[in-house]
Amino acid sequence: MQGWEVPLGAAIAFAAGAFATGWAQSRIGSAGAGAIAERPETAGSIIILEAIPETLVILGFVVAAMIILMVK
Amino acid sequence: MDWGYINARMRGMKSRLLDKRALDNLVMQPDLESLIADLEKTPYKPDIIEAKVQYSGVLCIEYALRKNFTRTFRKILQFVKEEEAEKYINIFLHRWDVQNIKTILRGKNIHITNEEILECLVPAGELDEATVIELVRQPDIRAVIDMLATWNIRYSKPLTGEYPEYAKSGDLALLECALDEYYYSDALEQVKIPSYNNGLILNIISLEIDVVNLRTILRMIRDHIDPEEAKKYLISGGKELDRPQLDYLLTLHSIEDVVKELKKTSYRFLADVSPSAMRTQKISVIEKKLEKFLVQQGVSAFFGDPLSVASVIGYFWAKYNEITNIRIISRCKTADFPLDQLKEELVYV
Repeated sequence: MQGWEVPLGAAIAFAAGAFATGWAQSRIGSAGAGAIAERPETAGSIIILEAIPETLVILGFVVAAMIILMVK
Repeated sequence: MDWGYINARMRGMKSRLLDKRALDNLVMQPDLESLIADLEKTPYKPDIIEAKVQYSGVLCIEYALRKNFTRTFRKILQFVKEEEAEKYINIFLHRWDVQNIKTILRGKNIHITNEEILECLVPAGELDEATVIELVRQPDIRAVIDMLATWNIRYSKPLTGEYPEYAKSGDLALLECALDEYYYSDALEQVKIPSYNNGLILNIISLEIDVVNLRTILRMIRDHIDPEEAKKYLISGGKELDRPQLDYLLTLHSIEDVVKELKKTSYRFLADVSPSAMRTQKISVIEKKLEKFLVQQGVSAFFGDPLSVASVIGYFWAKYNEITNIRIISRCKTADFPLDQLKEELVYV
């Protein structure tokens, strides 16, 4: 039987990654929008740059999953 | 305040400015027609096409440059609307209002036609095209000032204050100086609260005041104007040269003495001016060096914090310099200037 600390730990791991991703994407997104407005040919690179912070939330998700599945 | 967005747009716009190679290409054009054709291959294309409908030769280029400058800064104002950056950009754009009013006053003073005055105006500031056209339609200087006062335009204040003095002496420099003084004191007032952005604007505005004062001093000394009389034309708020220093420079007897005195300041680079230019009181060489220094300082703002007004300042000066360079090239092509001398006149940043 799991206690309350396991789901809480998983939630923190996921939430921290999600918030960090959101913050990073907002900054990259606004600057990227500016760059695309002036130079539309940079759209491909900007989309890739915009996606890079997703790794943070994926990492948070994996850690959360590992906490739930592996901590007994 | 989304400085990231503004910075990205400014850098995107800067990447479209003409680089040294493109300018050299313009310089190598044999005549004005090929210069215009070459400009059509640059971001000036829509403005050149519009200008060609009404004008030809150097007037076509001048019209296109004015249109492009106005269009560029209207575009910047569109995407910074209601943001903190709007205040900073307006500080820079207001100088075109001052410049336009000065041009109108000069035109009215020497009684040239309204069309000729209109050809020299750059409605990039707060006063739009319709407003400046209405001002140009006024019959004389008094009527222009009255019109500004009726519309409650801020520049009527210094002009109304100085007008009685002008009416007595007929010296237009009094009105022009009052406008400059008002513009710079207003700009400094807006950035007096200490902050990183305010500091950047304060730095470049106060540097500009120094340059304007130095130009005034050099002209006053060349024309042997009485120092007491000349003091009226100096502007307070300079970066390095305060009022007592400026007053002292005015009392010196020659350009060489002024340059020697400036060796203790950041303006020591003026000592590189050839002695013959100084002996013959050819201050245009010194003025060119000061202008180059100011542009380089302005453009170097690009190396400041990207999440600040730095990129806006850098872009403003880079664009101003590009337009000045194209104007120099077009004027030199009209006058059949030798290529090497023409290249010396350009400022590369």
